Amino acid sequence: MTSKNSFLASCRENQKRRVWVWIVAVLSQLLLYGGMTMIYLSRIKGVYANGGFKTPNAFKEGMCQAARDALGFSDNLYGTIFLLAAIIGMQGFSYLFDRKKVDMYHSVPVSKDRRFAVVYINGIVIYLVANLSGMVLGTVIAASQGAVNMDVLATAGLAFVWNLFLFLAFYHMMMLAVMLTGNRFVTVCAYLTFVLYEYGLQSQISALKRIFFNTYSEYYLGAEPKLSVIYDCTIHIWNIKNAQNAAAAAAIAMPIVAKWILIGTVFLALAYLAYKKRPSEAAGVAVAFPFMKPVAKVAVAIPVALLAGRMVYDTSYENELLQIAGMLAGGLIFCAAAEVLFDFDIRSIFRHLPSSGVALAGILAIFCIFKWDIFGYDSYIPEQNKVESIAISADGYYDNYWDENQQYLGQGEFEKENMFLTDVSPVLALAESVKGADTEQMGDARPVQILYRLTSGRMAARMIRVDYDDPGTEELLNQIFRTDAFKKGVFQGITDETSDADLTRITYSNGPTRAVIPVEEAGRLREAWLKDMEQFDFTLVRHNRPCGILYFHYGDYNQRQWVVYDSFENTVSALKKLEAYYPMELDAADIESVTVTCYHNELSQQDNAVDYDMQPRAVAETWDAGYTDYTVSETFYEEEQIAQILPHIYCSWIDAPWADYKDLDDNYSLEIVFKRDSTYPYQRDNYYFGYSFYAGQVPDFVAEATAYTGESCEKSF
Amino acid sequence: MIEIHNLTKQFENTRAVDEVSVEIKEKTVFGLIGTNGAGKSTVLRMIAGVIKPDEGTVAVDNMPVYDNVEAKKRLFFIADEPYFFVNSNARAMEKYYSGIYEAFDREEFYRYLEKFNLDKNRKISTFSKGMKKQLALLLGICAHTKYILCDETFDGLDPVMRQGIKSIFAKEMEERGLTPVIASHNLRELEDICDHVGLLHKGGVLLSRDLEDMKCNIQKVQCVFSAVEDELKALNGLEVLKKEQRGSLCTITVRSTREEVEARFATVDTIFYEVLPLSLEEIFISETEVVGYDIKKLILG
Repeated sequence: MTSKNSFLASCRENQKRRVWVWIVAVLSQLLLYGGMTMIYLSRIKGVYANGGFKTPNAFKEGMCQAARDALGFSDNLYGTIFLLAAIIGMQGFSYLFDRKKVDMYHSVPVSKDRRFAVVYINGIVIYLVANLSGMVLGTVIAASQGAVNMDVLATAGLAFVWNLFLFLAFYHMMMLAVMLTGNRFVTVCAYLTFVLYEYGLQSQISALKRIFFNTYSEYYLGAEPKLSVIYDCTIHIWNIKNAQNAAAAAAIAMPIVAKWILIGTVFLALAYLAYKKRPSEAAGVAVAFPFMKPVAKVAVAIPVALLAGRMVYDTSYENELLQIAGMLAGGLIFCAAAEVLFDFDIRSIFRHLPSSGVALAGILAIFCIFKWDIFGYDSYIPEQNKVESIAISADGYYDNYWDENQQYLGQGEFEKENMFLTDVSPVLALAESVKGADTEQMGDARPVQILYRLTSGRMAARMIRVDYDDPGTEELLNQIFRTDAFKKGVFQGITDETSDADLTRITYSNGPTRAVIPVEEAGRLREAWLKDMEQFDFTLVRHNRPCGILYFHYGDYNQRQWVVYDSFENTVSALKKLEAYYPMELDAADIESVTVTCYHNELSQQDNAVDYDMQPRAVAETWDAGYTDYTVSETFYEEEQIAQILPHIYCSWIDAPWADYKDLDDNYSLEIVFKRDSTYPYQRDNYYFGYSFYAGQVPDFVAEATAYTGESCEKSF
Repeated sequence: MIEIHNLTKQFENTRAVDEVSVEIKEKTVFGLIGTNGAGKSTVLRMIAGVIKPDEGTVAVDNMPVYDNVEAKKRLFFIADEPYFFVNSNARAMEKYYSGIYEAFDREEFYRYLEKFNLDKNRKISTFSKGMKKQLALLLGICAHTKYILCDETFDGLDPVMRQGIKSIFAKEMEERGLTPVIASHNLRELEDICDHVGLLHKGGVLLSRDLEDMKCNIQKVQCVFSAVEDELKALNGLEVLKKEQRGSLCTITVRSTREEVEARFATVDTIFYEVLPLSLEEIFISETEVVGYDIKKLILG
């Protein structure tokens, strides 16, 4: 039996005052979990009824997957978690806003620690009971339809932990918001500020960098906030939901949960401290601690002003003068609004001008820092002895990457984790060579992303533009491309840790062909390709186009892409032995027709020449005036003509990394239709493929046949 | 004993309480009188440990009260607008307070509820203002704390109820040494209840006296002297606080005991004299006028 003054008795007594919160919490979770489970399962049953699943096992798997989606990680719950944390946090401690309640609660012989603990723990109990009730209901519904297995339960358990700590992080933020304020409206403002502040500020600062810094890049170091719980939970949910199983989901989710625990603990500690220090007379006032007013005003005025400036900039055709005017106006309006809010008095609009002045000065300073690059962001190149290693991404190669859990990785992310160039001098020389350079004067200006890993442990990322046509640049890129570190950081096949046991298929394609190679040949092909890669450099890829691509498939979507050039003798030889190699040049006897389309870009460009110095309205009028279609197509059926065309074309379905786009003539495109009875192994059962002419190699008869005569001119709107 | 020493509290630019020092002795009814805004509620809230003084100390039986559970166990604070839980009834409030105050006497509480005709199951939100105050007082009395702090609690109570509460106070003072501290802006409300009165004005204490002492030491005499010499002789050596003359009838307020005044007037030749009882209001008028305040403006409006 518990004493009537025990902690549990206090908790029970406190719960009597929270009945409506109980009702809201439990109902919301029951409806959500129960509703979601029924809807998701119903969808699968509908698909099954329409013949969507071929076997009962597939149907059962689909049902379990639906149950996993409903009971596991779901962004559908975020709204209720966010709101429940706010409601439970505010309702529990909002007695602090009411003098009558404060007089009663603070005069009775109950310690502040006890009261804080009782209200705090009761809040968690409400959430836990509500959430578990919902999950139990959902599980019962799923189980009654045979849609529960161990993975569903494990995922639901993990999601419960994820949601609990998400709730706690928000709950603690709301508690701090309550402790720092004195009425509900200001509390909600403070809560939203805590939840969104870092994300909001970060996005505005990033926007300024994008506007004013030529070398700013988010390729390696994204602008994502580091401590934003709301950002974490929305960004990572996709990866977690799509994890293969509960263990894979846990591997992604748990580090994030650990971060939330840390953030939540800080907020809880601050909330407790504020609770202890909060004066009772703060009931009903806007801000409990007067010293917080100028701090809050200035801290929030800055991102608000930056947002206002950005909106004006975007809507004023990038007018910087209007941008700073918008920033100052936004800051000023916010400062005035904050003062009105603090005092609940419109006459306070011009109160505390010094702090408003500080906010405006800060806003102005930020603008100046970015506008005139006060800290030399664009000219930054670290000293060689301060750079530990570099990752670099030269424009021209794109691939899909997967991590050890077979989760998709961005290219920059992969390079960041796998490329460690320790011979940094060519990269620094490259950056130095284009410092202050005019990209307009470059023959082929291409972005190059650089990640500097400094000896201090800091990282800095920049984007420079280099001229691929410049021989000096080519030499520096050769030095970079030849290093093993670069190759490892670009081609996942080199550092591949995926076991060949997981290999499901190997294919080789040169565009139209697709040869399937036995997976047992993986080792031999890899060895040959790695040997050939020793000759890999920028000159090779810039001035040559691949003769085909080897694909190593793991599962349905995950694949490694290995580019093969004619000069890759070992690989080509191995492919030939496997009867998988087909030459790029086609045989005219296999081809039924070649349709050549000439776009007559020179004529279109004349028509569409827009003076970008014109006023926006004039530009819009030029565009609105319509365009003339100059395209002319001609189809060739004669084998002789086709034979004359084939040596001069390259399959546009093959990506040619870093290759000079000027090597191909973008004024023409070709569609090749193979004969139905051709023995050519068409890729994916297609029999027509896209090709391009090599630049300057369009046969005269083709040029004549596709010349623009004016007859096919159509005016389109 | 509650000892208040140099208590000061400021709200933004307003000094609500300014260096107040008062001692509240046990087993007395202490009245705290003052106009609206004089600082009565702030003083009571500081005594109750609700708000923290900027300067000065409050000690309840030698214990600091702010954030001190042990000291608060000896206090029950009834605010000017007592808070009751939403949709609650007297029974629910009893359950709450009996869980907090270990000595809460439930039987006594229900007995008093019956006596005061308060339905224990009726929603408090349907109670009149006076009924709410009665309920708050009963909860406070039954909490069996040593001190009960009442902020404007008696204002609005009808005379019967006032008398009822007064007799309960008397009984509790007698039986267990209850010390009520009653704040009011109305002097007349306190007259028949208090033993000691503190007068607050603009955050400071104008005076703090035992009511009995005040009554015994201030006398009002109506008299008609035979000659001016008699008047001079009678008043010689007495502290005259106020003197009014209408024709030959003098009304004199003097600081002295009744016996001394009667003895003095018996030695002079008077056509008529009578020592009259002073109301608390008259005592306050006299006392504060001496120090330059017009009490009628302060308390009586």
